[in-house]
Amino acid sequence: MPFFSVFRHRVSATLFTTCLVFPLTSVAQQPSYLPPDSGEILSQYRERCDYVLSQAVTTTSSFDETQGDLFGVAANLDRKTNLEWARKRLRTFNEPPTGNMFWMIPMVLIMQTGRDTLNDDDWAYIRKLWKTYYPYRGDTENHWLMYYTGQYLAAEMFPDDGPEHWFNGKSSAENMDEARSYIEDWIDITISHGQGEFDSPNYADVYIRPLLLLTGWVKDPSFRHKARMILDYILLDYAVESLDGFYGGAHSRVYPRHVIVPSLNAINPLGWLFFGQGEYRYNATHIIAVLSGYTPPTILFHIANDRTKPYIQRELKRTRWRLRNAGPNSFEVKGKRTVPVYKYSYVDSDFILGSCQGGLLQPIQQQTWSLIWRGPTGSSNTFFGLQPHSSPFEGSMYFGEDPDTVTDLIARSKVDYDSEDKLQGGSPYEQVFQHETALIALYDIPKDARFPLIHTFFSRDLKQREEDSSGWIFAQGGPVYIAYRPFAPGEWKPVDWTGLLKSGAGGFVSTGFAALSEGSQSYASYERQNGYIVQIAPSREHDSFESFKTAVKALPLEFSLSPTPSATFTSLDGSELQVSYGKPPSINGNDVEYSSWKLFDGPFSQSERGSKRLEMQYDRERYILDFNTVTIEETIIPSR
Amino acid sequence: MKFLLSSFFILFFATLPLLADDSLVEPKLFAALGMTKSQKASPIPTDSGVFLYDTVNERWRRFGPTIQQVNSLSTDPSNPENIFLACGNGIVRSQDNGKTWRMVTGWRESDITKIVIDPSNGKNVYAASAWGVTISRDGGDSWSAANEGLVEKFSNSIVVDHLNPKRLLVATTAGLFVSYDSAETWEQIPTTPKIAILGLGRNKADPNIWIAGTEGNGVILSSDNGKTWQSTAPGLSTANIYGVTTDPFNGENLAAGGWGTGIWISTDGGKSWKNRGKELPSQNITATTFDYAQSGRLWASTFEEGTFYSDDMGVTWRSDDVVVPGATGSILGAYVNDLGFISVKK
Repeated sequence: MPFFSVFRHRVSATLFTTCLVFPLTSVAQQPSYLPPDSGEILSQYRERCDYVLSQAVTTTSSFDETQGDLFGVAANLDRKTNLEWARKRLRTFNEPPTGNMFWMIPMVLIMQTGRDTLNDDDWAYIRKLWKTYYPYRGDTENHWLMYYTGQYLAAEMFPDDGPEHWFNGKSSAENMDEARSYIEDWIDITISHGQGEFDSPNYADVYIRPLLLLTGWVKDPSFRHKARMILDYILLDYAVESLDGFYGGAHSRVYPRHVIVPSLNAINPLGWLFFGQGEYRYNATHIIAVLSGYTPPTILFHIANDRTKPYIQRELKRTRWRLRNAGPNSFEVKGKRTVPVYKYSYVDSDFILGSCQGGLLQPIQQQTWSLIWRGPTGSSNTFFGLQPHSSPFEGSMYFGEDPDTVTDLIARSKVDYDSEDKLQGGSPYEQVFQHETALIALYDIPKDARFPLIHTFFSRDLKQREEDSSGWIFAQGGPVYIAYRPFAPGEWKPVDWTGLLKSGAGGFVSTGFAALSEGSQSYASYERQNGYIVQIAPSREHDSFESFKTAVKALPLEFSLSPTPSATFTSLDGSELQVSYGKPPSINGNDVEYSSWKLFDGPFSQSERGSKRLEMQYDRERYILDFNTVTIEETIIPSR
Repeated sequence: MKFLLSSFFILFFATLPLLADDSLVEPKLFAALGMTKSQKASPIPTDSGVFLYDTVNERWRRFGPTIQQVNSLSTDPSNPENIFLACGNGIVRSQDNGKTWRMVTGWRESDITKIVIDPSNGKNVYAASAWGVTISRDGGDSWSAANEGLVEKFSNSIVVDHLNPKRLLVATTAGLFVSYDSAETWEQIPTTPKIAILGLGRNKADPNIWIAGTEGNGVILSSDNGKTWQSTAPGLSTANIYGVTTDPFNGENLAAGGWGTGIWISTDGGKSWKNRGKELPSQNITATTFDYAQSGRLWASTFEEGTFYSDDMGVTWRSDDVVVPGATGSILGAYVNDLGFISVKK
C-alpha cells in the first residue's frame, strides 16, 4: 500500500472510492462525512509531521554536499543528523547567495533550528551572509511578507546588534520595528479589505511559509499570536474553497502547468499535511510547518473535508495595488489604490465552480473562473475559459517599469504572458457572472486588441465530449456533467498550438508542459463580440448523461452579440439569469448587489467588511479570530 | 539663448559642488542599472546597481552595494560625501563617500525613481517614486509623503530649481507639477499636456531652458524657466521619450531619445532636430546625458544593447562596455535606468 494511503483520512478514502463509482452509476448518492474526533485528527496530523521530518532526513544525500535544499539543512540541524553535510551544504548553497526574500526564509529557519547545533564558524559564516548579501524586497505582497519575516526573525536572534551587522545598515532594533510594522499593516489590510494576491493555489504557499515562521519563532507573545491568527485565516480561506486538497474557483495567480493539472499546485501538498487530503508530495513548506510546531485548529479539518451539503461561498478580495491606470472603480487604502474583487464559488462534494467578475483584477496570472472536479492526482480535472490579453496598460497598472519594456520584462519570467495561447490572465473585455452551477461569460473585444479571441480549455480527461446540433457542447469530467454553449462558432485546437510552452521556454513555468497538455484541446473563437454559458451538474443528480443533455437543451436561452453581448438564461435550478455586457447582472429580475458582499460569506465562515473579525463555524463549533482584541475564541454551542 | 561659457562655469560650479572645495570634487558619469538582458526565465535580475565611468581607464566600475533595481542617484551639492541611491527597495544613503551604506527609508517608501537634494540646504531631500513624492527635512534620516495637489502620484522624475530651491518640478503620469514651497503643495503647470512625463531636465548653462520627455507626445520644451511649455521635435511627436538632456556647456544643444527613436539632437535650442545614432545597435533609448566634464560629449544608453558616447553630436558612437577582468559585474547588456553626473569627492 502506498504511503499516502496510510495517512489519508478515512473520510477522504471513502470519497475517493465514491469518485470511482460515480461515473459508472446513475444512482443519486449523498456524500457522507463521519467527523473524526479532535484526538484522531491531531494524532494523524502528528503522524504526517513525523513522516515529513523523517523523509527530509532519510532522503538527504549525506555524501553529496551539492545536493539538497536549505530546508533539508534545517531539518537535519533540528534532528541533529547529517551535521557535516548540513554545514557544507549551507556553504555550497550560498556560493553565492541568491533568491532574495526566497533565500531569507530558509536561512532564518536554519538559524532557528540550528541554535544548539551550529558552531562558531557556522554562525560567523551566516552573519557574514546577512552583512554582505543585499536581498531585494521585491514587488509583490508575498515578496514583502517573506522579506520582512526574514528580517524580523534574523534580527530578533541578535537584538542588540548595531547597523554594522546587517546588509541594510540598520540595527536589529530598527529592522525589527520596520518589519513588524509592515507585517501588522499587511494583516490589517487583509482582514479589512481582503487579500491582494488572493486564493492562489501556488502563491498561498509563500504566504503560509513566513506565517509559519512567525507563528513558530517570534518571541513577542502578542505578535506571535497575531501571526498564528492570520495563518489560521489564510488556511480557512483555502479550506473553504477546496476539494480534496484542490483549490477551486477564481484565483489571483496561477501558472500554465498548474492550471491544466491542478494537483501540481504548491497548495495541494499542504492539503495533505494539514487536512489529510490527497497524496504526499515534497513541499519545503512541510518542513517549516513541522518545525514550527503549528497545529491547525481541528475545525479547519472539518471545513476542508465535509462536503455533504453543497454550498455557496462569497468572498470579497482586492486587486494588487495599482500604481497607474487605477480606474474609476478603484479606492484608496493608506495611500494606495485597489479595486474590489467579488468572488463566488459553488462548492459541491464532487466539484467546485467558481468565478470573479472579470476584468484586469490581477497582473498576468489571473484565473477569472474555473471548474475543478474530484479527480486523481496528475489528472487534468479542470475546465475554464479566458480572453488572452496582454498590454503595457495592464503591465504598468501593477509594475513600475516603463510602458515600452514592461511586457518584455514580465515575459522574462512569465513566458506566456504575451502569447495568445496563454492559459491564464484577466481581460479588460470580459464580464463573468455566476449563479450556483451556471455561469455566463460575455466578451466585447475591440478591433485593436492584442489577441482578438477567446478560448476554453477542454481537458483530455473529459469523457463523451459531444457537439450537439443545438449548439451545446456536452462533456463529462469525472463525476460532473458539463454543458457549454458558445455564442459564436469556434474551432478545436491543441492546447499550446503556437508551441511556445511546448518548446520549454520559460523554465519551470513550462517544464513538462508538452506531456501535461497532450490530448487536451482548446475551443478557440475569433468573434470579437462573444460569450458562452456553462451549466454544471453532478452526475449523481441525473439518471444519465443523456437525461442531463435533454434537460439542458430544454432550458430557455436567448442571447445577442450586437451591439454588445447580452444573454438571458434559465439555469437548471430554474433561476432566470440576465446579463448585458457592462451592466450589473440580475437573478430573477433582481440586480446582484456586489456592494453588500462580505469578506467571507458562507456556511463555514462569516466576516463583515471592516469588522476585523472572522467567525469559522462547523456544526456546533465556533472558532472566532478577533483581530480587534488579538484573541481566538473557541466555543461549542450546546445542543438543544 | 546662447550663454557665454564663463556664465556656464559660474552656474555649473554653483550647482554641482556648491559649498564643497572645488579642487576636491569632480563630476563623474554614473549608470544606474535595473537588470541585464541575460536575465531569462527568472524575475531576478542578473546584475544591477551603480556603475561609475573611469575616465582615465575608460572603463565602467561598480560603485556601492549590489542592489537590485537602482533607478538613479544623486549627491548632496553641499557635501558630496552624502550620496543617495534611488532604488526599488527605497533610498540608500552613504555619508562617507561610499564606504558604508544605509537604507534610510522604511517599508512605506519604495520604487524610488529619482532623488534630488536642495543645493542650499542639504537637509532637504526630495524623491520621486511610483507612489508619489517623498521628502526628508533631516538629510534623509526620516521621510514623509508630500503629494498634496498631485492628481496622479506616479512620478518619474523631480528637479529642484537651484536658483530658487523652494521651487521644484515633478514629472507625474498626469503631467508636470510645480511646487513653490519646498514640496509642501503642488499645482499643475497649465501649459503642459496632462499625460505621463517620462523624463525631465534643466539646462545648466541657461537655467531658463527646461526639457521633458513624454509618453506618446514626444518632447516638450520651456525657454522661460519652466513657466510655459511648447512641443518641439516634430519627428518625435508621438514617441515615448525616456531620455532628455541639455548640454551644460552650450544651452543650444539638446538631445532626446526614446523607444524606437534613436537619438535626436538639436543644436539651435530646439528650432530644428536631426535624427542621429542610426548605427547604434538598438534605437530604443532608455537614458541620455551630455557630459559634464568633456564639452560636446553625448552619452546614450540603449535598451540592453550597450551604452555609447559620441564626440561629434551623434555622428559616430563608441562604447566602453567591456567586462573588466576581476571586476564584479558590468554594464554589458544592461537596462540602464538613468545616466547622469554626480559630483564625487576625488
